[in-house]
Amino acid sequence: MRVRSAEFKKRSAETARDPRRQAALQMLYDGLHKGRIAAAAATDNWEELRVKGRAIKWHTIRNLDYYLELLEERVVANGGKVYFANDDAEASEYVMGVARANDVKTVIKSKSMVSEEMGLNEAFEEAGIRPVETDLGEYIIQLANEPPYHLIAPAIHKTREEISDLIQQAAGGPREEDPKDLTKTARRLLREEFRTAEMGVSGVNFAVAETGSIALVTNEGNGRMVTSAPRVHVAIMGMEKVIPSMQDLSTMLRILIRSATGQRISSYVTIVNGPRKAPEEDGPDEFHLVIVNNGRENLLKDPQLREALLCIRCGACLNACPVYRKAGGHAYGWVYPGPIGAVITPVMSGKKRAKDLPFASTLCGACREVCPVSIDLPTLLLRLRSDLAEGKAAPGERSSVLMERLSFKIWRFGMLHASAFGLGGRIASAGMWPISRRGWLRRLPPPFSGWTSSRDFPRIAFRPFRARFRSRGGG
Amino acid sequence: MADRNEFLQMVRDSLGVASGRVIEPDDATAFFEDQSGVSDQAAAVREHADSSRADLLDEMADAAEEIGWVIHRSTSPEDAVAAVTEICRSAGAKSVLRSTHDVFERVPVDAALSAEGMAVSIATREPSDDDAVDLERRLELRERAFDTDVGITGVDYAVAETGTVVINPRQGVSRLVSLTPPMHIAILEAGQVLPSLDELFLLAHDDFQKGAHRGMINLITGPSRTADIEANLVIGVHGPVEVHLVIVG
Repeated sequence: MRVRSAEFKKRSAETARDPRRQAALQMLYDGLHKGRIAAAAATDNWEELRVKGRAIKWHTIRNLDYYLELLEERVVANGGKVYFANDDAEASEYVMGVARANDVKTVIKSKSMVSEEMGLNEAFEEAGIRPVETDLGEYIIQLANEPPYHLIAPAIHKTREEISDLIQQAAGGPREEDPKDLTKTARRLLREEFRTAEMGVSGVNFAVAETGSIALVTNEGNGRMVTSAPRVHVAIMGMEKVIPSMQDLSTMLRILIRSATGQRISSYVTIVNGPRKAPEEDGPDEFHLVIVNNGRENLLKDPQLREALLCIRCGACLNACPVYRKAGGHAYGWVYPGPIGAVITPVMSGKKRAKDLPFASTLCGACREVCPVSIDLPTLLLRLRSDLAEGKAAPGERSSVLMERLSFKIWRFGMLHASAFGLGGRIASAGMWPISRRGWLRRLPPPFSGWTSSRDFPRIAFRPFRARFRSRGGG
Repeated sequence: MADRNEFLQMVRDSLGVASGRVIEPDDATAFFEDQSGVSDQAAAVREHADSSRADLLDEMADAAEEIGWVIHRSTSPEDAVAAVTEICRSAGAKSVLRSTHDVFERVPVDAALSAEGMAVSIATREPSDDDAVDLERRLELRERAFDTDVGITGVDYAVAETGTVVINPRQGVSRLVSLTPPMHIAILEAGQVLPSLDELFLLAHDDFQKGAHRGMINLITGPSRTADIEANLVIGVHGPVEVHLVIVG
């Protein structure tokens, strides 16, 4: 999927002015954020679980090569196939190959963020295969042809009127607006797909190295359908999703699900141990696990940024973030919005187009506070800002960096030389006089317009503080 | 085509580590716990589930009710048969599909349901060595699962911490019976309830060590649900709309 993060300012401003989107974002705060707080409060050993979850993830990331190799070995022992994909194109190509080999016409998909990175649905369409998203939210945004707005509530920005239009278009029949009726209609439409599709594609919440298993966390039941009804199951995971032991699942599920939705457990947790084992009644004959890099190595090789690979994609940092709650999910321009998206999008994509994202934060620390594995997101954001100021992550952006450096050189000179400071103040004060009104400047020419486009600047006083201080007998 | 050796080397290079190294044990993960002890621990868990059966059953009933199971407690097998029959009858069920869990030997529901005029079928097929024939039989079962009004199963475990029932699909226990019908009835017996997810995953781990694991482990907690439209909770998306837990004992 194309990175469109360069439009952050424009798109976040649009969202901030759109009362419907603001209402939707408020629902995330009232529903998911408060739900998480209540769930954490109701769990006696919550902090202990967070510490443990973080330690499990850190241990795995530090030994990622070991656990990936073990995972591969055990999946193969269970009768599955493993494919390591270095980028999105390789991953897509492999999945297309599996589909072609099985003469697949329709693919049912349960939620997979990595498949969004890959633009997998477009790849299927180009190959003449019909992809059908089956998570209700994903289904809605597929009908709308939009990327997800939120990690776990992908269509939260859509009003029921908009959803009603989309579902009526797909289903025909009378227009419905009650969420219950809309859900029932979607159930009816997707049921025929579950019954007939030849291949299922899912994401992976956790992959267990020791047993070669994957765990899927869902509430609707589509994850079970996708892994039970079709002949072929392809699961796609980012390479950081592995954990060592089956017994680590209890800790990881407890922190993931409470942080995501405030539930103690989701309606379904589905643990897939490879393909159907004869003489089982149903389940896929083929199981493929696609393990994807796609820029994650940029995080892994940096000892500080590596921490972002602890993320278990619960979405809690989005709900807690005052910037996400105004800017909305699409402003971030790629697959992962919010504080975690602001860290991983620029690093994974390696593109200067995402250079605004590390600045899309007030550094208030709410994200770090809610993160189930305590990722130090504000520090990682600061680190990326510093890289950008040094010109490291954005080699094409020297001009603004030069301007910033020049400004700070002049500032430094002024701060070190009292006479220059006084002179500068007098010049600025005199220059501001004709364009100020009631002591404030409303509009300044570039490059100072960056300040005044969003706020006024106070006029510098005629008589500096030092002069007034002296005239009152100070000093 | 990506090369797995190059991929793993990329990971090692990124971490600055060498291949074939011995990794440092870490207390956080169960991976380094004494693996030979898993079997003994599993036996202790089963013993506890058995000796605390009454308390665990009460805890399970409370947690399950909270999460959306409709609870039916019965003290005898006859009561349980009557409860299952009443649930199906009042739902107006015409067709019922059930698994072959052991519990149906003690809670024989078929005759009572048939007497109510319902078509009862068993969710299994005769396995065949001929792949094409076997596939055909499996597809026939899939059609039945999609077309049935009620699915009835036993359970393999339950988890009191979360109100979860656990079903391990196998021959006679289709993945779909508890999923595709709009109503699922699970029959739980005393002695099947584990205190928490910790014990469940310990037992699952033990199954792996013994090679007794199967293709899937299903944790089911209440009905299917979504909140994808304006954050409104709606019960019953792709899975069952109504779920009943019949507790025997």
